[in-house]
Amino acid sequence: MSRQAWCRRTLAVLVVVLTGLVAGHAAVARGGRFPTVAAPATPGDAAVALQAALGYHSVLAADMMRSRIRGDEELARAAENAVGRNTDVMRQLVGALLGADRAEQFRLLWTAHVTALANYSRGVADEDNGARDAARSALSTFEGDLAGFLAAGSQGRLPRDAAAAAAYLHVDHLMQQADAYAAGDYARADQIYREGYAHTFELGETIANALIGPAAVKALRAPAWRLRSQLTRLLGEHVVLVVAATRAGATNGPDFAAAGEAVNANTRDLAGAVDTLFGAAAAQRFQSLWADHVEQVMAYTGGVAAGDATRREAAIEALGGFEKQFAAFLSSATGGRLPVADLARTLVMHDQMLLAQVDSFAAKQYEQAQDSAYSTYGHMGDVAGQLAGAFTGTLGDRAPKGGSQTGYGGTAGHHG
Amino acid sequence: MAEPARVLRFALVAVLLALVGTIPASQREAPAAADRSAAADRPAGPLAVDSFRSARSYSAVASPVRLRIPDIGVDTPLTPLGRNADGTVAVPVDPDVAGWYREGARPGQPGPAVILGHVDSRVGPAVFYDLHALRAGTQVSVERSDGSRVAFRVTGQVRVAKSRFPTDLVYAPTLEPSLRLVTCGGTFDHAVGHYRDNVIVYADAA
Repeated sequence: MSRQAWCRRTLAVLVVVLTGLVAGHAAVARGGRFPTVAAPATPGDAAVALQAALGYHSVLAADMMRSRIRGDEELARAAENAVGRNTDVMRQLVGALLGADRAEQFRLLWTAHVTALANYSRGVADEDNGARDAARSALSTFEGDLAGFLAAGSQGRLPRDAAAAAAYLHVDHLMQQADAYAAGDYARADQIYREGYAHTFELGETIANALIGPAAVKALRAPAWRLRSQLTRLLGEHVVLVVAATRAGATNGPDFAAAGEAVNANTRDLAGAVDTLFGAAAAQRFQSLWADHVEQVMAYTGGVAAGDATRREAAIEALGGFEKQFAAFLSSATGGRLPVADLARTLVMHDQMLLAQVDSFAAKQYEQAQDSAYSTYGHMGDVAGQLAGAFTGTLGDRAPKGGSQTGYGGTAGHHG
Repeated sequence: MAEPARVLRFALVAVLLALVGTIPASQREAPAAADRSAAADRPAGPLAVDSFRSARSYSAVASPVRLRIPDIGVDTPLTPLGRNADGTVAVPVDPDVAGWYREGARPGQPGPAVILGHVDSRVGPAVFYDLHALRAGTQVSVERSDGSRVAFRVTGQVRVAKSRFPTDLVYAPTLEPSLRLVTCGGTFDHAVGHYRDNVIVYADAA
């Protein structure tokens, strides 16, 4: 290996390792150790952390199932290991709310449903109806067990039936997307994948309300928290869909077209959100920049798949332009609440993390690719929180002052 | 091993600098992990990823033009409203016509849309005279300029002193399609010529 090649290789490995460390949110420790999650500071923090962890669970579980259906055991094992690490993040979050004993109870029943999902996908892959039915039965047991666990932990705030319905929907999304994927209906599989991801955020809110109690009910009604939660969902979805599309792109898989369309659907949702927040002109500018960002990540992926360093470098160069322009756009939209330099650093990191994930995946370093993707998702959650705070402040300043003068007194004393 | 150690130190510093954004994009190296995959592992034939094109448009929600609340006999055109010079919300000039706060969400967009109307004129009832009678579950419909309609369902209502108007709950951005209907209520302060309270109806997408 030449000195230059050695240096490049070292650089790439360090980017992956350091970005993982810097990401902070649920940073994943390797080598069999579980990640450590800081106890959430507020009910709102706990709720959004739970939502994000559940959202990522749905993504990893789907990845695991799809890998098994494709017969890619190495990738399925990496996904399964990542599901395990994600389960431990949730165990710690539950532990912060209910204590260590209940958290361990949660881990055991949650792990059982992951195993059943893996078995279900094996049954689908092998066209073994017996195995599928057995897995379905195990998942049905899980739904009841989880409902019982949540109902008990909620001290009556969450009826068992409501909890069971939420658990059922989660499991149903995962099974349905697996069935559609196995049938080669990738568009439907990805549509359900998106619905399942969105549902886990609703599930997280339900669980947070149930387990945290009145303090959460109040905190989670606050518009600032709701915006933070929704941006975490949308921007987190951007990461998971781009990761899925780049993996399909890097292997030139038959599911790429649907994966790319799912990314575009998320881009349109993000543009619609920006329209609501800052108006149509800002939304159009946002979408133009965001579209460039996604296209360059895909162009980089194409360069990796083709083994073409020139294309990869061109994509990196173009991403540099996006990072600067998008930082300026966001800073301007928030009236300077978010400094351009800070935003640019954040965007550089986001792009580097996405590209490092592509590199790891293409090099078949699946464990590293999973870690990189998880760190990218966690980093985006942190970014979503910062953006939500800045948007709330900026738009709060522009909101009308006080109530409305919508009466002249012609019926004073005669109405309610 | 002195050479690799020196290169490792260089690489470590370079990565740290890149992470804090001090290396311009043009000088960043393409991570080379992919180069390690054998050429034989590379997908053959045209790459689907090369044909990817980002979505560059989205379905914009049209402006609202009409509000209907059959349960209280409301069927009114909507006029766009902004803010007054003192920062308060502008209100419709015509007491029989409601208005939509155009600096907020359009009804059906992911966010709270706000529609305001008078409870009375100087001589009698106005468009939102019966707003206080709306109960949870009541259907509200908004027609938009492109002919599309969006339905909402009332979730609750409050009467609050204008001095304690919940700006956050009415105007603060979220990404959930919702509607707030606002008018006046309570007692009339003849000294200043205004009602003391506002009635706010909250509705979510049906």
